[in-house]
Amino acid sequence: MKFTDWPTVKEALISKDIGGVFILAPMAMQLVADGVPIRVVYLGHRDGTAIVVGVDSDIRDFRDLRGKTVAIPSRYANQNVLMHRMMKKWGMPYDSIDLRELPPPEHPTALRSKSIDAYIVGEPFAAMAEVGGFGRVLYHTKDIWPEFISCVLVVRVDLIEDSPELIQELVDGIAKSGKWLDEDIAHRMDAAEITAEHYYFQPPELLKYVLSKPADRVKYTNLAPLRPDFDEIMELAFEIGVLSRRVAFSEYADDSFIRPLEDLDWEMERLARPTDEDGRK
Amino acid sequence: MKRRVLIGAIFWTLLISLAHVQLNVGWRELWKSLRVMSGSERAEMIVGFLPVT
Repeated sequence: MKFTDWPTVKEALISKDIGGVFILAPMAMQLVADGVPIRVVYLGHRDGTAIVVGVDSDIRDFRDLRGKTVAIPSRYANQNVLMHRMMKKWGMPYDSIDLRELPPPEHPTALRSKSIDAYIVGEPFAAMAEVGGFGRVLYHTKDIWPEFISCVLVVRVDLIEDSPELIQELVDGIAKSGKWLDEDIAHRMDAAEITAEHYYFQPPELLKYVLSKPADRVKYTNLAPLRPDFDEIMELAFEIGVLSRRVAFSEYADDSFIRPLEDLDWEMERLARPTDEDGRK
Repeated sequence: MKRRVLIGAIFWTLLISLAHVQLNVGWRELWKSLRVMSGSERAEMIVGFLPVT
């Protein structure tokens, strides 16, 4: 089920309209802190976020962002945490960059109209400015926070208790899909064609760019929720006031569905194939 | 007397159960749950997403 904003996602989880959702990592922690019974069971991807500046901008490194306006997807996004992590690393006070929340689809247009100086967002909206010829990637997350976590898969606790086999099937499916995506660039191109039409509603060429320029721009393996990664996000998110309290890993994560990747493979001949109008495969 | 109380209790339980299904559960959901429990239908899970990576 496609959503366009995070508050609606939260409501859908609470009202049990959905069993799970791909959600921003710090937001998942805050929902648990608020008492919403959910658990992080897997990641959506690794990396796949970039800081983008205008193509003619004189911003050359992170220090040049001092005093500038930078769009973030949400205060509950790990992109917000990353900006603060970078400011800390570069010895800059937390208020030295004007961070503004903006829905991801509006980031490229805001940069183009020069109402912001830069933005940090998940793909494909980072690549959109590059492909459009008006933006330049300042940093890919793989270069400044390797194995960056953006979206995580959360599921309702009652489903974990009542239907663990469903969650296992979902996690295995994502793991197998990620393994398939990362083992061959041709698989990524096929996936771009399909997801462009059915999920992202973006030009396939844009998604092909995201998945190949460079190939490690976004990764779909190493998706198990690892405690050290999450502890770092949680501590930083608490420090900057995104989280109302510290949340222990065991409170919001359940890694019992993780299986070794080498044990997982699609049985391609058994997968359902799309049918044409006459019902032929 | 005992029989009337018993019939009344059964009638009341039935009525309150039907009202609960109508108001809180939904007949379609109940039918689906029964089919899943009987094994004639696979359990379904809806997963939400926002189209950002």
